[in-house]
Amino acid sequence: MVFEPFEDENDLEDLDARLSDPDPAIRRVAVMGLADTADPDAIPLIARAVADSSADVRLQAAIALGEFDGLEAATALCQALQDTDSKVSKTAADSLAELKDPKSADPLLALTNHEDAKVREGALLGLKQLRRPDALANGIEGMKDPVTAVRIQAVGVVGYLKAEEALPALIASCRDDDPEVRRTAVGALAFSKSSHARDALLTALMDEHWAVREIAAEVLGKISTTGDGGPLIPLLDDPYWQVRVKAVRSLGKLKVTAAVAKIGAQLEEQTSNLRKEAAAALGEIADRSALPFLEDLVDDPDPDVRKNVRWALGQIE
Amino acid sequence: MDDLRAGLNEVECDLLVIGGGTAGPMAAYRARKKNPNAKVILLEKANVKRSGAISMGMDGLNNAVIPGHSTPEQYTKEITIANDGIVDQAAVYKYAQNCYGIIEELDQFGIRFQKDENGEYDVKKVHHMGTYVLPMPNGDTVKKALYRQLRRARVLISNRYMATRLLTGKSGRAAGAIAVNTRSGEFLVIKAKAVIMCMGAAGRLGLPTSGYLYGTYENPTNSGEGYSMAYHAGAKLANLECFQINPLIKDYNGPACAYVAGPFGGYTANSKNERFIECDYWSGQMMQEFYNELQSGKGPVFLKLNHLHKDTADHIEHILHTVERPSRGRFHEQRGTKYSEQMIEMHISEIGFCSGHSASGVYVDEFARTTVPGLYAAGDMASVPHNYMLGAFTNGAIAGEHAVDFAAEVDHDEFDDAAISMEQERVLAPTKRDDGIPPNQIEYKIRRLVNDYLQPPKVTAKYELCQARLAEVREDMNTQMMARDAHELMRSMEVASILDCADMAAHASLYRAESRWGLYHWRSDYPDTNDSDWKCHVLLSNQDGVMTCEKKEVAPYIIPIAEDEKDAYYKQRITAQA
Amino acid sequence: MPIANTPTTVPVVVDEGKCIADKGCTVCVDVCPLDVLRISDLTGKAYMKYDECWYCMPCEADCPTDAVTVNIPYLLR
Repeated sequence: MVFEPFEDENDLEDLDARLSDPDPAIRRVAVMGLADTADPDAIPLIARAVADSSADVRLQAAIALGEFDGLEAATALCQALQDTDSKVSKTAADSLAELKDPKSADPLLALTNHEDAKVREGALLGLKQLRRPDALANGIEGMKDPVTAVRIQAVGVVGYLKAEEALPALIASCRDDDPEVRRTAVGALAFSKSSHARDALLTALMDEHWAVREIAAEVLGKISTTGDGGPLIPLLDDPYWQVRVKAVRSLGKLKVTAAVAKIGAQLEEQTSNLRKEAAAALGEIADRSALPFLEDLVDDPDPDVRKNVRWALGQIE
Repeated sequence: MDDLRAGLNEVECDLLVIGGGTAGPMAAYRARKKNPNAKVILLEKANVKRSGAISMGMDGLNNAVIPGHSTPEQYTKEITIANDGIVDQAAVYKYAQNCYGIIEELDQFGIRFQKDENGEYDVKKVHHMGTYVLPMPNGDTVKKALYRQLRRARVLISNRYMATRLLTGKSGRAAGAIAVNTRSGEFLVIKAKAVIMCMGAAGRLGLPTSGYLYGTYENPTNSGEGYSMAYHAGAKLANLECFQINPLIKDYNGPACAYVAGPFGGYTANSKNERFIECDYWSGQMMQEFYNELQSGKGPVFLKLNHLHKDTADHIEHILHTVERPSRGRFHEQRGTKYSEQMIEMHISEIGFCSGHSASGVYVDEFARTTVPGLYAAGDMASVPHNYMLGAFTNGAIAGEHAVDFAAEVDHDEFDDAAISMEQERVLAPTKRDDGIPPNQIEYKIRRLVNDYLQPPKVTAKYELCQARLAEVREDMNTQMMARDAHELMRSMEVASILDCADMAAHASLYRAESRWGLYHWRSDYPDTNDSDWKCHVLLSNQDGVMTCEKKEVAPYIIPIAEDEKDAYYKQRITAQA
Repeated sequence: MPIANTPTTVPVVVDEGKCIADKGCTVCVDVCPLDVLRISDLTGKAYMKYDECWYCMPCEADCPTDAVTVNIPYLLR
């Protein structure tokens, strides 16, 4: 008895026929079958389902298109992104974020001005992953959008492109009303070596939201040169310990000798994460003035702290 | 479905890849890319769409060697030290050199790694040594993205076929495999010029403390067929006594995910809220410390996130509940536990074989070749230590490219047709009985014995008792196991693999008369590490039907390790006694 | 030796009102690594036939109509 051991070869004709079935559930199953084929010839058929009368079928089409790439799939997804059903458009946005082929960006560029904020957001989300240089203008414009979620994606597009000419716009977003926009924009400054970016980071160290201060401390550690981290020192008085941890790390990395006493004070903190990072930073700075702080901690109850103290003492000697 | 049907089909291909989880798809894909004319079959016991250890996704890489963050030399040193020196460095070094290219390729597949706001990989520093952690907060798309690539590369996928034995050719080469359909009991014989085994860990060896057969750390489909089939084909298996034991969420048996929580400041604590793990590496030594703390007056052990900002703790919780084992969220919901509010009780897993987390695997060299010509192995079942998901992908790619070249140079090796009828008879025997013991009861008994006698601390007398008991169970299995449909037949074949693995675990452990790898091979009657006699691999193989162990020298290091580097590690050593 | 029927409460629950297995959908049955789900000859809907669940959730995540719920097996709850 002979049987077929391999996965079904694609029968697009059969799936096409079922796509016209009066029962929407059967049409939906057909769309799932089309997605499974991974055959580019299935794209026009799925594109047809994007205009189906049943929202369930349209939703399935938006999922299915995520299995493909390129201009044709992107065009159909852009149509799904504009669907009146919010579930369909949300799913289309997720699928757009899967696209990798730069050609997929074409239809998206035309949608960043769309009247519906969800469409603008989804189009920018897709553009971010594709990193097409000509999306920069769309991104910069989107950073002024009245809707927060759109601005966050727009900052994403611009941040991924790492273009110096977008710096003024990114710096402006570091002063956005929304903390998540500010956090994203501050994070995006890491690529720049300019003094303007640095100034914006210094301002962000004093942001009212802890997550913005936290990322500013981290990025400053990435872009500064050794010894040049003085402005981080005041952050060691931050009311929130997760911010202080990042400041300590950056100060250690930059070997800021002037910070030793204040980092040493962190060794008395109850949160052991902070003691551990402070000990490590003192080791990186490797200044003898840290010895008294460290010697007090050789018997810390936390083994990670003890290890870092031991290591730091070794660095100094 | 499930009704047994008689049937035997035969197909021929250049390269057969067994196992469609992580390493297997990558092997098949790379083989097709390297030689588009090659006929490549990917055989899978479940369905490639959602199979293997990462069926639901993966939340991060913890051994990513990314330029600017760590070097292949540094990584090779660390793995050598973490595995107590028993490492053939060539394979580890090759992985370390190749894995960044694989990350880039996976990124192109659409698998999403965490990136910073400039789109650069957001590698996290966890400790002083190297920096290897790259989170995948959207790692739930891994399998989907892989499947898409396999379909595009036109790999022939054969789902729901369980390979039961390899075919060996008259010249001693791998010549293919015999498989049985898990829903009909029909046989498929695949003749191949080269075979790559990517069949995962032996994760159904020990019994979870819950007593639930399928509540394992590993995906329970990974029941050790790879180890068993390699053994029966005459391949050598390395360091099986270096068990896999992992920290996990108590009862849930999901991973503890220290690598997800660590970069955010989460850690493993004892009941006094204090950190206790001295060891910087994921290793048997670390597990020994974990075990000791569990048994001590400061136990049990917890995952501690409740000192973090609620936003941070919630963010970690969200990742843990979405990716890799998402039913974790449901588990905590029912228990009423929230990561931001209380510490989460942890425990240690049942024992298993898995090179992905430890070092127990079919012996392979840096090209993923086993000791049988034409037979390759990659992923959790191959001997490259501490390999994790990225190692499976990388070594799968290496295996696929090497094997497809090998296949282009040779013809199909002739094999004895009697092997097929004999194997059919063996597989179908449980279906020929109207009365007997169902496979789940035999499985429960084997795994209960594994827990009673084989899990560390390892005691010689207990091991010998276990061997005697397992022999009795083998007799029951051979004469009384009964399968009523194709599904039960699959379980019966799994039971046979589990029993083979239990025998191998006992045999290899008794041979290595020392303690090594912390908890993984803690022999209480040989409590010390004995480098002068045992700083070597132990290879186990089938010699004319007799399970046999031999020593094999560790290959000379290509990345030497200075004395003070070793010291930095051994200073952290603590004694095995709980 | 006779074989007993021991009852067991299974973790995977299918909402038959939402399930479209009778329309040709086989997603949950296809994706289950342990192969424990089947489509009932009686109802045409999916159900859990074998109590061998790893509570890994592809059946729930991939179900197009949100008909499948995976609970934690009772022994672990």
